[in-house]
Amino acid sequence: MNVDLRSRTGRWLVAAVALVALVLFPLFVGGGSWLNTAVLVLLYAGLAQAWNILGGFAGQVSLGNAAFFGIGAYTSTVLLDRWNVSPWLGMPVGAIVAAAFAVAVFFPFFRLGGHYFAIATIALAEILLILFTNWAFVRGARGITIPFVRGPDRRPTDSWAFLQFNESRVPYYYVVLGLAVLAVATAVVVERSKLGYYLRAIKNDQQAARSLGVPVLRYKLIAVAISAAVTAAFGTFYAQYLLFIDPETTMRLELSVLIALVAILGGVGTVVGPLLGALVLIPLSEVTRSQLAGSGNTLDLVLYGGLIMLIAAFQPNGLVAIGDRFRRRREAVRPAGDETERGEAPLVGAPGTRN
Amino acid sequence: MPALLELDAVSKRFGGLDANRDVSLVVEEGQIVGLIGPNGAGKTTLFNCVSGFFPPTSGSIRFAGNEIAGWAPERVLRAGLARTFQVVRTFPEMTVLDNVMIGAFARTNRAGEARARAAELLAFTGLAGRAHARGADLTIADKKRLELTRALATQPRLLMLDEVMAGLNPAERAQAVTLIRAIRDRGTTVLLVEHVMEVVMPISDHVVVLDSGRKIAEGPPRTIVRDPNVIAAYLGEKYRPRDEGTA
Ligand SMILES: Nc1ncnc2c1ncn2[C@@H]1O[C@H](COP(=O)(O)OP(=O)(O)OP(=O)(O)O)[C@@H](O)[C@H]1O
Ligand SMILES: [Mg+2]
Repeated sequence: MNVDLRSRTGRWLVAAVALVALVLFPLFVGGGSWLNTAVLVLLYAGLAQAWNILGGFAGQVSLGNAAFFGIGAYTSTVLLDRWNVSPWLGMPVGAIVAAAFAVAVFFPFFRLGGHYFAIATIALAEILLILFTNWAFVRGARGITIPFVRGPDRRPTDSWAFLQFNESRVPYYYVVLGLAVLAVATAVVVERSKLGYYLRAIKNDQQAARSLGVPVLRYKLIAVAISAAVTAAFGTFYAQYLLFIDPETTMRLELSVLIALVAILGGVGTVVGPLLGALVLIPLSEVTRSQLAGSGNTLDLVLYGGLIMLIAAFQPNGLVAIGDRFRRRREAVRPAGDETERGEAPLVGAPGTRN
Repeated sequence: MPALLELDAVSKRFGGLDANRDVSLVVEEGQIVGLIGPNGAGKTTLFNCVSGFFPPTSGSIRFAGNEIAGWAPERVLRAGLARTFQVVRTFPEMTVLDNVMIGAFARTNRAGEARARAAELLAFTGLAGRAHARGADLTIADKKRLELTRALATQPRLLMLDEVMAGLNPAERAQAVTLIRAIRDRGTTVLLVEHVMEVVMPISDHVVVLDSGRKIAEGPPRTIVRDPNVIAAYLGEKYRPRDEGTA
């Protein structure tokens, strides 16, 4: 078979094959630590994808997405804990709460330029963490334990209705896979729509964008709302996966940093980037975590910091760009004369031509 | 029928500096109006006031029946007034086609429609051959042409061009002149800022001259070139060297 994997059909083919492989994956590994790693990979792939909508497409680097993650986790968990509301309902509620929160808080943030914006987002998640730690209603620093759903024999059992699986972890895998697919689909739709175009224009030059009628602030707010909603949905999942949340596990700084790092490592502003980043970085961080067990979290941060420096120095466009670079080198030895860029449709000539 | 654009005593102060002082001018629908003046005369400042990039300190700006002084740029654009920048601001990491699509999205929510409109305009302005190049990879002449195409994609009633011909060689200038005429013939009114008098004269129906923030003359090109005030203003210019196209 000879299909150009960069073409439209080629890309769908790759996506389909990857999806089938992902669906079959648990059949091969069972429920062990591989499954846990796969769940985390998909979790971070989705979180990085959500980060990418604001940070990648629109170029507004947030280091506080753990705030949205925490809001998602807490909203559904508090609803469940206090009023026995199913997490399936808590998830969209949490997404809406996170989106509303994001719009309210980022409205002033977007007036801050560059580094100040990033710093403000760090402060946001940290403040939220402190607030939750001291908030009795959400049980403060002690966190919330989600009670088991029990079968007739009083043993913890599986419950799709309450998004809780105690007999086998495999259903969790399929739930997070579904969420990740949803996150990717969201990114693809955003990328191809007016929203995506406007976000990229904002990233490139805000003044020029305004001169062409782009309501810059409104589109940034739309982007952060979507980003927050998707992030919060994963927060709900994570709470159900652990069956325990506290402010540290859901809102700590490393979580925010790791989300951004996965996207940046993979390649910002592309849909494939965050997936690639998660696939490389999450298993790596799992290994370092088990190897460096007992030394606390600080070493993780040192590693991440080092990685960021390496990316900035050698591969600012992330892993996805390595392929491009390789291809360009190959092209350079090819005879010149082909004006059009590789992989793209012939130049647009007639009105109405789609490429 | 009132004029398309009407400025009445527009002033803009920067601290102690009168960048614009009581500037009044009228642009009739279907005209090409030239706005000229030596370095620092206040041409770009006037553009920024009209296009909403900052509010005038005082004065009135009427466009298509609305008082637009103080409106945000995106609102001015939607009312039908588009501008280009003297220092080019193409989106560097987006393709030429995508650059123009951003303009086209001002009038549609559908990507397919925006793409079709952008492709059509690229053919019109002669940039179709560069449709898939990155904005950053264009020559200065093509960047200026791209900005113009992009502004045109917003379907403006009035197009304000800030020194689109600065930095172009004579052949490129001739092309630009032809293009500007074609734009007017399609029904778009043009307000053309140029520093160099010779460029503006042959294509303008009406010329307004600024110097030190004030309007010192206006009229048909023939009379402007003989106006002693204008000649005096431009004579002093010789002794102020100027970096074309980068200012
Ligand atoms: N944002 C600003 N803040 C302070 N002063 C400004 C600002 N913009 C312009 N000026 C000043 O206002 C005056 C008019 O500048 P402007 O750029 O409008 O002139 P111009 O006619 O476009 O000149 P050029 O032919 O060089 O483009 C200049 O003295 C300039 O320094
Ligand atoms: Mg100027």
